[in-house]
Amino acid sequence: MNFDYSEEQKMLVQSLERTLAKSYDFETYRAQIADKTSHDPALWASLAELGIMAMPLPESAGGFDGDHTDIALISAELGRRLVPEPYVSNVVIAAYILGELGGDAYTEDLSAIGMGEKRFAAGFYEPGERHNPLALNTKAEQSGDGWTLNGHKAVVLGADTAGSFIVSADAGGASLFVVPADADGVTVRKYQLLDGRGAADIVLNNVTVPANALLGEAGGAEDIILEAVDRGAAALVADSVGAIEEVIELTKDYLRTRTQFGRPIGSFQVLAHRMVDLLVEYEQAKSMSMEASVEATNESGDARKKAVSAAKAKVGAVSRKFGQESIQLHGGIGMTDEYALGSYVKRLLVNETLFGDTDYHLERYGQL
Amino acid sequence: MELSLTEAQVAFRDEVVAFLSDSLPEDIKDTQKQGGHLSKEQMQRWHKILGDKGWSTPLWPEEHGGTGWSPVEYAIFDEECYRLGAPRVLPFSVSMLGPVLINFGNDKQRERFLPGIRSGEDWWAQGFSEPGSGSDLASLKTTAVRDGDHYIINGQKTWTTLGQHGDWIFCLVRTDADAAKPQTGISFILVDMKTPGVEVRPIITLDGSHEVNEVWFTDVKVPAENLVGQENMGWTYAKFLLQNERIGIAGVGQSKEQLVGLKRLAAAEKKNGQPLIEDPSFKAKLSEVEIELRALDLTNKRMLVETERGMDPGPVSSMLKIRGSEVAQRLYELKMEASGLYALPFQPEAGDAGWNDELVGSLAQAKSAPHYLNTRKISIYGGSNEIQRGIISKMMLGF
Repeated sequence: MNFDYSEEQKMLVQSLERTLAKSYDFETYRAQIADKTSHDPALWASLAELGIMAMPLPESAGGFDGDHTDIALISAELGRRLVPEPYVSNVVIAAYILGELGGDAYTEDLSAIGMGEKRFAAGFYEPGERHNPLALNTKAEQSGDGWTLNGHKAVVLGADTAGSFIVSADAGGASLFVVPADADGVTVRKYQLLDGRGAADIVLNNVTVPANALLGEAGGAEDIILEAVDRGAAALVADSVGAIEEVIELTKDYLRTRTQFGRPIGSFQVLAHRMVDLLVEYEQAKSMSMEASVEATNESGDARKKAVSAAKAKVGAVSRKFGQESIQLHGGIGMTDEYALGSYVKRLLVNETLFGDTDYHLERYGQL
Repeated sequence: MELSLTEAQVAFRDEVVAFLSDSLPEDIKDTQKQGGHLSKEQMQRWHKILGDKGWSTPLWPEEHGGTGWSPVEYAIFDEECYRLGAPRVLPFSVSMLGPVLINFGNDKQRERFLPGIRSGEDWWAQGFSEPGSGSDLASLKTTAVRDGDHYIINGQKTWTTLGQHGDWIFCLVRTDADAAKPQTGISFILVDMKTPGVEVRPIITLDGSHEVNEVWFTDVKVPAENLVGQENMGWTYAKFLLQNERIGIAGVGQSKEQLVGLKRLAAAEKKNGQPLIEDPSFKAKLSEVEIELRALDLTNKRMLVETERGMDPGPVSSMLKIRGSEVAQRLYELKMEASGLYALPFQPEAGDAGWNDELVGSLAQAKSAPHYLNTRKISIYGGSNEIQRGIISKMMLGF
């Protein structure tokens, strides 16, 4: 047993750290949020150059065949820096589905994802269905050679800047279709999430797509949807751990430097012990994130689900606690928009809620 | 023992309900019920309606415009206001400054300022906290130096709630830098915010709203007649003022209204085809917070009845502040959880008067995360929960 990352992985993280340190500080983030955009083409291109888009892709599409521990390392850095770019939605989820089900028809698209030239976003969730990724009120009906789609996908991560969507629909069971964002009948209501990442609601109104828009077999996509969601969940868990590490740094610094009653507030035992409780929670969360990153690709569905649900539930609960306690330990300054803490609290909330919230995963864990 | 309202209290409640039903403007009720931000105009309009009825300053002595209500009657009024969507009047002028002027001000100050407080025409802001003085308020550094008939004020205040609308600000300032204890060199002074040298800068909070501000003072010349009470006695007045926050500190009225909203949201939300409110694990969370609120309501009323009989409530108000903030925060947290994915689109202005963007999800879902984030403040302001625990420990345990 070892918990080490390989030399290659360490180098990857270092170069990602360097790139972000150079081009993406908190002020850059704030300016981007103020502009109401979740995507900066220049930053995206420099991230693609590092190879993080190509990392998990198959070699046949110009990728590096990376595993999910690579994804976790990358995600943690993106979380640590609050980067709102659509990495998880595009590279971790959509590219995985295209790689598994797309076949030759989508190899070019996959290569384009790897080079940062195309973006896809995958929508499974629906209004009124909470965290169930297998909700299928969206219907696909065969029409001529192709399909006609009708339905509504809720809060699709990355759909604000994607050129194409992958949506689940009922075609005699769960099925996946590729839909161009600009197809007739597609309405995309774009918005930013609490932390500045982008998403959209997608409404499909008699949208016709050709036969090759169907990925895999009609009615046969249930397992791949669950796997894709679990990979996304494991990536967001790692993203949260990266964000939490930064929250720890901010809060420790504040406890050391803020003085009241003539002494640093961290010297008040009641505050110090609460910080210590957070440190214990962090170690627990980190362990679960590591396990999820290893098990996210486990071929046994049950082992994968168990590890991912455990991590998502544990890190979700820890994130909530970090959000609340770190603000309280800071006091008023923790409530302000111009101090970084609040943005991390919001990032943690978004991560906690996407791809199954804590309750969803607790329940699923209990059923396995 | 009889825990229900007396006949007289029921009659009082009916009177409150009748007044609110007749007098509350629809637009104000809508903004309030939707959880939007009220505009200055809306707040002042409602304040004036209450003032005309004689209900804007219920806890003041009757000769200055109080209603003579008992604490329990006041609590009934508070609850009915929340239930029916009537905004509560801001505390800064009515609950904080007014009683200080009544007790420690002079006749001239009372004549000049109390009418504008009752009518809501004068918008008062509070200038206590400073960047370096939060929990340790007595360490404040803003100075007021006597210069003939004036004081010259220099320094910075922060967390000034709705100071962007302010006409006046009441401030704690340091008038004796050499005092033996920091508490003894502080004075309480009233500043016209139109005076040259006063600058208000917004602080945007993490929920995207502009509620609080920094207020900067650069050589601000204030007439000496604006000093309240005696020079260097400001700390005493400030402590008196903070004690007046006691009634209503538990936030029972607001939390009851939030509980109703939470249940409505959880009934509308579906989980596996069933209303979320019927989901056993969600139901358990809901029951837990509802029971906590029930206990808080009763504890609060028990304290109010005892205060009515003249008993010193001691540290109970600190307890009510702690538990009241925890219950309120838990309710907002559950609303956010119940909202599911639609808690995530950031729509901080949804529900405000004049907001007409296309809504994503329901309005209750859209407001849920901004409200959750915003209400993290209530365990920080007005003496953080850590400060409150310190007060209780000192009073009850002796250390």
